[in-house]
Amino acid sequence: MFAQSVSALLETVINQFLRYNLHGTRALKPLAEKTLTVQLAELPFPLSFSVSDEKIHVTINDEHSDCCLITSISSLIELKKEQQLTDLIKNNKLDILGDLKVAQRFADIAQSLDIDWQSELAKRIGDIPTYKLGQLGQQLREKLSFASNQVQADAGEWLVHEKRLMITAAELSYFNRDVEQVVQQVATLSSRLDELINRVSHTNLIK
Amino acid sequence: MMSAHDQNHQINQDKSDDNTTHFGFQTVEKNEKESKVASVFHSVAQQYDVMNDLMSFGIHRLWKRFTIDASGVRPGNKVLDLAGGTGDLTAKFSQLVGREGKVILADINSSMLNVGRDKLRDRGLVQNIEYVQANAQYLPFEDNTFDIITIAFGLRNVTDKDMALRSMYRVLKPGGRLLVLEFSKPEHELVNKAYDFYSFNILPKMGELVAKDGESYQYLAESIRMHPDQETLKTMMDAAGFEQTSFKNLTGGVVALHKGYKF
Repeated sequence: MFAQSVSALLETVINQFLRYNLHGTRALKPLAEKTLTVQLAELPFPLSFSVSDEKIHVTINDEHSDCCLITSISSLIELKKEQQLTDLIKNNKLDILGDLKVAQRFADIAQSLDIDWQSELAKRIGDIPTYKLGQLGQQLREKLSFASNQVQADAGEWLVHEKRLMITAAELSYFNRDVEQVVQQVATLSSRLDELINRVSHTNLIK
Repeated sequence: MMSAHDQNHQINQDKSDDNTTHFGFQTVEKNEKESKVASVFHSVAQQYDVMNDLMSFGIHRLWKRFTIDASGVRPGNKVLDLAGGTGDLTAKFSQLVGREGKVILADINSSMLNVGRDKLRDRGLVQNIEYVQANAQYLPFEDNTFDIITIAFGLRNVTDKDMALRSMYRVLKPGGRLLVLEFSKPEHELVNKAYDFYSFNILPKMGELVAKDGESYQYLAESIRMHPDQETLKTMMDAAGFEQTSFKNLTGGVVALHKGYKF
């Protein structure tokens, strides 16, 4: 029943998103009666997304599907970049069974979602509270972003300079350069040794 | 003290006259049961959905989703939602079978059928749904008509369950499947006791309070106890001709989904 709870929740969220989408549900038309099944490594059941006229239905049923993706959540996120597709398949992070175009159309719909949250919120709580909330949200975002950058910088300072648990980028670069030099010296020495061994064996043959 | 299920067993054993059947814990003439069940559902039809949500704490929606998932429904399928009542399963099936498919919402009770039809029409679901007032024992359809037949919380109210199962088998296409979602016997004794207490003490009061009809909900509790348990129903499906029959307990066996195929 956990699976059904997940599918019910997903279905509600997806269809709410579609309802708020500025482009309406027109994008679903070409996918009418098509089904995409996603088998995620993190979930013990498949999720099938079927399209009816203006709705997406989520079921736990992989008996019939136009396209089936077998992957993990992290690989699914990487799929946003189309150029990643081949790499993911090569690295066995993604298996596709069936019509790839169906999966691509689902992805297009997901990426083309354009929701005007402010006007949706304004319908419910009014214009002025929405404006105030928007401002508050913006300020909060800026403060969070500043705090996050600050924390990262401070943590870096503390780890590198105070506790000396990590090295600086310059030190890493020097270390890499030194390693390369050692590698070169070892290669030179190795070829020199080969040469000497050849000479010794040649002398022994003459004697 | 006998539990409700022991009483059920006892009553079934005591029942020697073939012309009688049970209506809750009462033994009645077979031809009486139909009208008695009809009067229960005429009475509760308007409050049926609200009561379902209240009684099951909304879990009936997940049981029905489970049934849809197990149906393997696909576009173009022809589905019979038998004893479909207020059309919860029909609504979902109608959207999943698409324009080429068809769903028949059938119920013996005209009040339930009317409530279901109004609800589905209000939701804009009109294209591929037909409504038929039909007795599950005498299904008015040709042989081999449906890809899927579901009967959710309806079989226990049928007078002759074996006959109804045979009728369903007849109208199912070869390769088609029957899904019976019905109250059943909880797997654990503790759950069984808590469930008995809830059914016989709280449920009728809830019915009295919300639907102004405590008696109908007393019947509901009794009819659940009189319904065959998981294994018995599976055997009945086998006897009707279904193959690869199986069942899955939901919510600890409070409800079970039986599945069988016709080949």
